[in-house]
Amino acid sequence: MELLVYTLILTPFLSLVISFLFSNENEKPIFAISIAGVVINYLALIAILFLWIGNDFDPIFIKGPVLYQTDDIDFTISLFIDGYGLVYLFTSTFLTGIIIVFSKNYIHREKGYKRFFNNIKFFYLGLLVFLLSGNLETLFLGWEILGVTSFFLIGFYRERYLPVKNAMKVVSLYRVADISLLLGIWLCHHYFGYSINFNDLDGLHSPQPHIVNEVFYQFAIPGLFLIAAMVKSAQFPFSSWLPRAMEGPTTSSSIFYGSLSAHIGVFLLIRTAPFWEGNYWFHYIIAAIGLVTLVLSTLTGRVQSSVKTQIAYSSLAQIGVMFIEVSLGWYSLAIVHFVGNALLRSHQLLISPSILSYKIHHQFFHFIQPKKQGSSSFWQKIKLSIYILSIKEFNLDGFMYRSLWNPLKKIGNLFNFMTFKMTLGMIIPIYFAGLYIVYNKTVIPNVVLDYLPEFFALFSLIIILKAFVERKSARNAWVLIITNQLLQSLAFGFNDHFDYNQVHIYLSGIVISGILGLWVIHKLKSQNKNHSLNQFQGNVYEHPRLAFVFIVACLGLAGFPITPTFIGEDLMLGHIHENQFPLMIIITLNLILDGLVIFRIYSRLFLGRHQKSYHEYAYRSS
Amino acid sequence: MQKQFIEDDVIHLLKHYLPAQATLKDFVHHNSLHSFQEKEFFDAIFSANKIFGFQVTFNFNEYRKLYKQGRIRSEIIDRVISQSKGKEQVELYKMKMLNGQFEQDFIPRVGQLRAKWKEIYKMDLDNRVQPLLFRILASYIDQGISLWPFPFEDTGLVNAIRTLEKNSFSSFFKSKRAKKCLFDESLTIEDLLTILVGKSNYFSNYLFDQQYAHKGWSGLFSAIEDNDDTIFYKKKVALKDLIHLELLMEIDALDSNLGTDWSPLATNLPDKVEDYLEKVNHSEIEEILQLWQEAFEWDYYDEVLSGIQFRAKNKVAPPVQEETFQAMFCVDDRECSLRRYLEMEDPNCVTLGAPGFFGAAIYFQPFGGKFYDKNAPVAADPKHLIKEIEIQQVRKNEIFHSKQTHTLLNGFVSSFTIGLLAGVKMTLDLFRPRMQADISNAFSHMDVHGKLLIENRDLSEIENGWQVGYQISEMVEIVESMLKGMGLVEKFTPIVYVVAHGSSSANNPHHGAHDCGACSGRPGAVNARVFSYMANHLEVRDRLAKRGISIDSNVQFVGAMHDTASDEVVFYDLDILSDSNQLLHLKNVITFESALDKNAKERARRFASINIEKDIKKIRKEIKERSVSYFEPRPELGHGSNSLCHIGERERTKGLFLDRRAFLQSYDYRTDPTGDILKQVLGPLPGVCGGINLEYYFSRMDIEKMGAGTKLPHNVTGLVGVTNSSDGDIRTGLPLQMVENHDPVRLLMMIEQSPEIVLKVIKDTQENYDWFAKGWIHLVTIKPDTGELFQFYKGEFIPYHPISKVLHAESMMKVIEEAPEMITNQILEATKENIPVYTY
Repeated sequence: MELLVYTLILTPFLSLVISFLFSNENEKPIFAISIAGVVINYLALIAILFLWIGNDFDPIFIKGPVLYQTDDIDFTISLFIDGYGLVYLFTSTFLTGIIIVFSKNYIHREKGYKRFFNNIKFFYLGLLVFLLSGNLETLFLGWEILGVTSFFLIGFYRERYLPVKNAMKVVSLYRVADISLLLGIWLCHHYFGYSINFNDLDGLHSPQPHIVNEVFYQFAIPGLFLIAAMVKSAQFPFSSWLPRAMEGPTTSSSIFYGSLSAHIGVFLLIRTAPFWEGNYWFHYIIAAIGLVTLVLSTLTGRVQSSVKTQIAYSSLAQIGVMFIEVSLGWYSLAIVHFVGNALLRSHQLLISPSILSYKIHHQFFHFIQPKKQGSSSFWQKIKLSIYILSIKEFNLDGFMYRSLWNPLKKIGNLFNFMTFKMTLGMIIPIYFAGLYIVYNKTVIPNVVLDYLPEFFALFSLIIILKAFVERKSARNAWVLIITNQLLQSLAFGFNDHFDYNQVHIYLSGIVISGILGLWVIHKLKSQNKNHSLNQFQGNVYEHPRLAFVFIVACLGLAGFPITPTFIGEDLMLGHIHENQFPLMIIITLNLILDGLVIFRIYSRLFLGRHQKSYHEYAYRSS
Repeated sequence: MQKQFIEDDVIHLLKHYLPAQATLKDFVHHNSLHSFQEKEFFDAIFSANKIFGFQVTFNFNEYRKLYKQGRIRSEIIDRVISQSKGKEQVELYKMKMLNGQFEQDFIPRVGQLRAKWKEIYKMDLDNRVQPLLFRILASYIDQGISLWPFPFEDTGLVNAIRTLEKNSFSSFFKSKRAKKCLFDESLTIEDLLTILVGKSNYFSNYLFDQQYAHKGWSGLFSAIEDNDDTIFYKKKVALKDLIHLELLMEIDALDSNLGTDWSPLATNLPDKVEDYLEKVNHSEIEEILQLWQEAFEWDYYDEVLSGIQFRAKNKVAPPVQEETFQAMFCVDDRECSLRRYLEMEDPNCVTLGAPGFFGAAIYFQPFGGKFYDKNAPVAADPKHLIKEIEIQQVRKNEIFHSKQTHTLLNGFVSSFTIGLLAGVKMTLDLFRPRMQADISNAFSHMDVHGKLLIENRDLSEIENGWQVGYQISEMVEIVESMLKGMGLVEKFTPIVYVVAHGSSSANNPHHGAHDCGACSGRPGAVNARVFSYMANHLEVRDRLAKRGISIDSNVQFVGAMHDTASDEVVFYDLDILSDSNQLLHLKNVITFESALDKNAKERARRFASINIEKDIKKIRKEIKERSVSYFEPRPELGHGSNSLCHIGERERTKGLFLDRRAFLQSYDYRTDPTGDILKQVLGPLPGVCGGINLEYYFSRMDIEKMGAGTKLPHNVTGLVGVTNSSDGDIRTGLPLQMVENHDPVRLLMMIEQSPEIVLKVIKDTQENYDWFAKGWIHLVTIKPDTGELFQFYKGEFIPYHPISKVLHAESMMKVIEEAPEMITNQILEATKENIPVYTY
């Protein structure tokens, strides 16, 4: 049994790794390896299904390898399968198989044939890790893989402007979801004092003895998970990313944004249900979110004039319904609804290009002029108002921009008086002084020591805000991020009970990826390449390998799971005390922003239109 | 000096330079740079390059690699240089071509003025305006995707928005001023430009920048404005409205970001303005690129001309036995291989070529249709309507495209019903592809067993301004000129097939581009049936006999259609066949079937997914399946690789393997000592063949700006076009999957007639003369008796002596089987896939 479950994760992993051996032209082996991975998984799933039935439908739990363990923290990969998970697993595996076979001819001779299949497999791997996860840490690992592959899949046409812009847009939202989830996990650690497993999840009943404000946890933990679920499932007010994610080849839009990716929030809610089931407020909140989403998406969907966005919104409305089903506790219904909706929308997207000839032919024989719209009565005026709002997608597209990014940008611009050199000149002495104090805490009175974590965290926030508004030099922005991370680790360093080992793990990740990134930027600079962040440079056109190296550095610096940075980050978060609320907020903003800045540097340097005009390049608007 | 801004003139000019592509249902090939066609070819394309930034040739690197690869031969380079620069210049120019250092980086003129918004105000205006603007435009034009149509669409875009804004509590606009400007009906585009730009001498450039930033939408608006037949759901469409709205939205975006105290864009700009359309002065770069492109072209042409000359001198012996059947095909390049195999299967058959509307320029209305289809060349203005009056099959509905699945409740029910079924359907679609309601089927344009009303019953029967059916006298004219044009005036076989063509494909918004170009991008079966009916008409035959064309009473014309994607042929109206012809037909069907098998095999060589060493019947099945597969973006390769047009007897090209790259028009110089017939035959060809060729040329050279890019992300918008994403512009031109195997060379037209007569004929119509004189099509004549070649160069015919060796193949099938397949679609790889000219 264990072996079978491990197979589910190992097969896509191997199939991903092996296809790196081939070049883009080897379409046949790339396809063969990809489909083999899915078929093996499908068989394994069938076997697991029978064993599960034979075992009286008992959920399966497997404690896997321990990645890191100390007295109070253990970071273990563990796996868990129950009925809901099995249904989602079957649907995902089936659809992935269909899409891989479909794409064999569809993607043929595309410049990114290999890249496409690798992304699909990486996504599938992330999905499996997410679905099979037996604890929150493993779940987060899968979740992050999904986020990163979404960035690649949406920005698949990386030489055009809009895919890259929309990929950034989606990823910046995802970052909010990621950090919500991470904070939720952090709060769980505090609450329980140990890492909890899904098989013995039993709600928020048994806090650690020192937990005082239990109500706070009972709202904050499920609340954070809910935000993550809302973002991933594009619920109100985060709806507008879904239609904008339809930038890649039809096949990837079909499987991910039409179905598998968009329903993940529903699954997350079901998986974390014990956290909120006992809190009746959450039933109302989830239902309300579902309701608002279904109303707005239905209205917006009615005025969509392009077929893919229309499908996106109608799928979204159904996901809203699923949220309501979940809020009512009808998980099985929600899961069957998911299967039907996922298959329906995937299929509709796959055949969406044929709608042109079909509908035109149909119109040729059956066209009836729509009725004229009136404008006199009050009701008609209401209708027209709704029409305008629907076309504008209820202004949701600018929501994040207005409410978060723009204010942050404004704050960041306040520090424009600090030049880059001045900033570094200020930081270096402070940093080394701080470093000295960390190792020799006795030299500072305790009163001051207590405020030092906040001080350094705030300082690092200013640095990352500066990086956020940096437009001139990629190198400067990159250096600022590294500095930001160093200052952050100092902030942790001042928290007591602190294990230096953990900081070292964290720093090893930062240093390696930081230097790697600097090397790439230096290389671009030495070849006279513009490295300003004012516009997209599109260097991937001439330097695809360098782009690959840089993305690895970015993932390392951003704390992508499995990298040392992430493990360190996760461990250190555990050291923030529950009464250090300001520190938590600052660190949260820090984490959100550094991910964003890192992805932006990558896309500005390497993606978008290549700046030389000796070859064809697309219009910005296309 | 302030240049006067005259709104109508600028808009007129703008419309001239915007893409002229109509909605995708009416996809017709045309020269993508039609607006530059009054110029000489290279001047035109390099001007377009500098003004709009289009890529119009390869870059030096690519040409040089083609040279190293042997695709461009050294001898040809020498020849091209010595012809245009003189013999003594060869060394100098060749050195520049091979080793010269040139910087090809530049900024095109259009776009420079509006780029200043970002420079001056640090604001990305397009980003603020375009997404909402495109959504409004798409909703306005939408033909039937959305469930809730744009209100007041019959009043024009700006008026509709006025009514909408007046009667609603929400608004598209954020700032007061923009809204006030909207409601002020006296404001003109010029007034709005004054607010935005200030100095009036910048207005014209500003509009070019603005509209060219989304040339797809602007071009579509302009095209619909000029011809609203291209949409079924009529809306009042005008480019002016689009511009008006966009200017308002720009004011709105600026006001809401900068407040009202920003000054117009041109405030601090110099008074002297560079006119975007001013003459472009070319540099040495263009001179050298021109030489490269000419060498690239002549390298191929020379090979063809060697073969043509060889065939002219070594005539294939005419068939000894009696001819079995004659078959007329469309001139289309995709038919040349089918004709070749018919002749191989049955050496006694005769094939002929003519534009696939077969003289019947018509509008067609299928039974129950509410609209009309134009089945004639784009340039033609049909006066006749052919109606279908009886059908046997009705097309089914496709539930997965139903709008109902997008409503809340039905969407819910659908999830639990057809949603779960979709899994089964997806699997079947993958492994058992078959024809379905939403796959465009060439044979459903007209019912296979339906009846047509072809003969006019009553002169007063007029519909929509067209005469319903043809009168006898009109039929006689058409049949006579068709037959004479092809040189088929005697020795008719018992059955004469009239074979039109169409193409079936799945998931293909560009399917019209695969249908018959001479029928405005529709299957030509109607025209084939109409022509056969006319030629079978007894009274028509009587009158033809009086004009010197006597057709035996046992001769019957049979209409047919070849599906160029699935490689099937369907014959129409077989019930009229006499008993003896019935038997002959059955025999001929066998010939057709085995020719189609081989044709499928030859096509399959370019499809990586088909192994052409398989059993030929299996290959045929796979070819058919790919025409109904949703996952197949290349049901066929369309006109990809087209580059030749031969006007003359089929005997001259028989035995010459041209790799499906030639348009073949039948013409017999013997029946035409004066050139009158040639004039009539030549009439539509430059437009049809040149249009196809140039659209492929430009889409291949710049797949992003003139082509539609790769098909895979395409999103059908408003049933009128495709965009790449939810916020994107309409993509015009051909998608990558159609042009990837195309060697972008201009069309080489070869006419079998004496140069003097050809010169006289082409000089007769200025429009056609310009195609050749300005170099948009190359012209060579083949002197009938001697096979001497003459190249049309600078207004006169000069002798041409090809230098390529003539290759000979014992078995053409073997050459095809062994031909290399391209690995990537980069030109260096792609060009290797073409098979050289062989004699066989």
